[in-house]
Amino acid sequence: MTLAVTRRNVVTLTLALVAGLLLVGLGALALGGVHLSLGEVWGGLRGTAAQPEASTIVREIRLPRILLAMLVGAALAVSGTALQALLRNPLADPYVLGISSGAALGAIVALYVGGRVAAASPLVAFAGALLTTAWVYLLGRRAGRLASYTLVLAGVITASFLSAVILFVLTLLSTRDVRGIAFWLMGDLSVVTDVQLRILLPVVALGILALYAFAKDLNVLLLGEEEAAHLGVNVARVQTAVYVLASLLTGMAVSVSGAIGYLGLLVPHLGRLVVGNDHRMLLPTAALGGAIVLTLSDTLARTAVAPAELPVGAVTAVAGAPVFIYLLRRAAG
Amino acid sequence: MLFSEWLELVCEIFTPSGRIAAQRFVPCSQRSWAREFRAPLLVAVLTLAGASLSAREVTDQTGRRVNIPEHPERLVSLAPSITETLYALGLGDRLVGDTDYCEYPPEAKNKPHVGAILNPSLEKIVALKPDLVLGSPEANRIETVDRLARLGIPLYGVTAHTVDETLNSIEDLGQVLGRGVEARELVKSLRQRIQAVERSVMGRGRPKVLFVVWYRPLTTAGARTFIGDVIRRAGGASISDDLPGEWPRLSLEEALRRDPEVILFPRSESFAPQLAEFQRLPGWRELRAVRNRRMYFVSDAIVRPSPRLVDALEEVARVLHPPEGAPQEAER
Repeated sequence: MTLAVTRRNVVTLTLALVAGLLLVGLGALALGGVHLSLGEVWGGLRGTAAQPEASTIVREIRLPRILLAMLVGAALAVSGTALQALLRNPLADPYVLGISSGAALGAIVALYVGGRVAAASPLVAFAGALLTTAWVYLLGRRAGRLASYTLVLAGVITASFLSAVILFVLTLLSTRDVRGIAFWLMGDLSVVTDVQLRILLPVVALGILALYAFAKDLNVLLLGEEEAAHLGVNVARVQTAVYVLASLLTGMAVSVSGAIGYLGLLVPHLGRLVVGNDHRMLLPTAALGGAIVLTLSDTLARTAVAPAELPVGAVTAVAGAPVFIYLLRRAAG
Repeated sequence: MLFSEWLELVCEIFTPSGRIAAQRFVPCSQRSWAREFRAPLLVAVLTLAGASLSAREVTDQTGRRVNIPEHPERLVSLAPSITETLYALGLGDRLVGDTDYCEYPPEAKNKPHVGAILNPSLEKIVALKPDLVLGSPEANRIETVDRLARLGIPLYGVTAHTVDETLNSIEDLGQVLGRGVEARELVKSLRQRIQAVERSVMGRGRPKVLFVVWYRPLTTAGARTFIGDVIRRAGGASISDDLPGEWPRLSLEEALRRDPEVILFPRSESFAPQLAEFQRLPGWRELRAVRNRRMYFVSDAIVRPSPRLVDALEEVARVLHPPEGAPQEAER
């Protein structure tokens, strides 16, 4: 059922997904804890609403949050896709490789230094992600190349080590600080700032585009490292670049939104069921699909128990696991 | 780089004649989002400038400078203790919203809710059009405060860690909200009740008290909390006063070694079912408080910096030092 990879199909698919994303985005704009009519939403968006509150709610609360969900969703899904190809392991995911645990520990260190979690310190969290990435990378390197199984093992062990360190630090912190961190660790998109969006937008966009430049190389890498080398791919260079780019995307996403699980696993596999294993198709599908899935999840998180809110990480996990199992079984049957 | 530009970039890469396709694809409205995205800051600044005509700059209880209206009329409370204090000051009718957890006084339950304490719905707060939001660093997250500030909604921080600080906090809140006289009267009568309690326990023994904040892990209250302060004033000696931090954890053997004579639990729905399990903890039966059946539930107002903290104080004093001849109100 997969589509043939032609430029025409890639464009059509991308445009269809972009249209879907816009539709989902507009739907998400219209829904929230406060009921606004479609007219009020539109007026609020254009700044012409009769009530200034509608404009504040739509433009300053909902819109930035939806944009954040899209960016984080795209970043996590693309980095999951790339890591799965790189490691030829369907279970690879930023979380499995310990990258997000590093970012989380970074955020908690930031709390000591700056007194806040995610809002003020995405850069420290990002630094944590990058340090972890470098550490796992060094562990996973053999004879100048990344050995995929060593890398996965190094990641898993680093992830559990860092989680243990996080739990240890949590027992030392005051109750007040722990609440904030616990919230952030569950995945939270509610406190986005303009500054975060301005940092995130170009980095995520450029990161995804840069990964797309390696789409063909990733296809070849799926055949195996030796085969790829025979076919003229500079394997070490591609591995390093893809690994660093995927870490960059994850670090950015985790630093602003905390631990939103399942996306890096669910969306790429969904994408493969639809467009197959060619990364020229798969990467844009994952990017836009990830944006759509996280926007939907966050809309659910915002509205399901309104005016209270659910942590979006819980929504992606609870909704993601059954969908994933269903799709896998259907594909197998 | 903004969203529409990003879309353009994507279109450019996926189509041979990218620029044209991109321009066709990205609708005009999309472009204006991008431009208007910078606008909120300006709007916030203008709102502040406009509001400052009838506003004053004050320092709130957490030390933040904040611009608040001369006569705040629409209040949103982000903490149950603040809601209680507002009602006690006769400001219930100016309260336009509170949290899902504001259950005292009962009228507070009928106010529009803005969600939970840790993650209130920002849009719900905006929709209630408050001219002042009241929050507390002990209850709310700093991220919520930052977000409200950027939305141009003033937030007055309320904080207290001891009985005295609670009284000062109530008086200060009354001052800020134009209820200075009422607040002073209220605090005066609260002080008299506190002094009466302190007089009544003077010269009596100080039983060793364990206050169980949570049982797994066994968590208790440090000296610099309402609980520690209330126990001291009620004529008890908390066995955890020397432990560091606000909510120190206690190993069971340490609890046994310190051998409390009285054990207190907060009277809350979530705690009662756990009590049976607590009593099955190894070594539990050896505690003096258990052998003498001196375990009591006390009002959970003991953790709220509101006027009812004094009710809790009176209750704790009653169970620690029961009046002569009065039956002990042992609940277990």
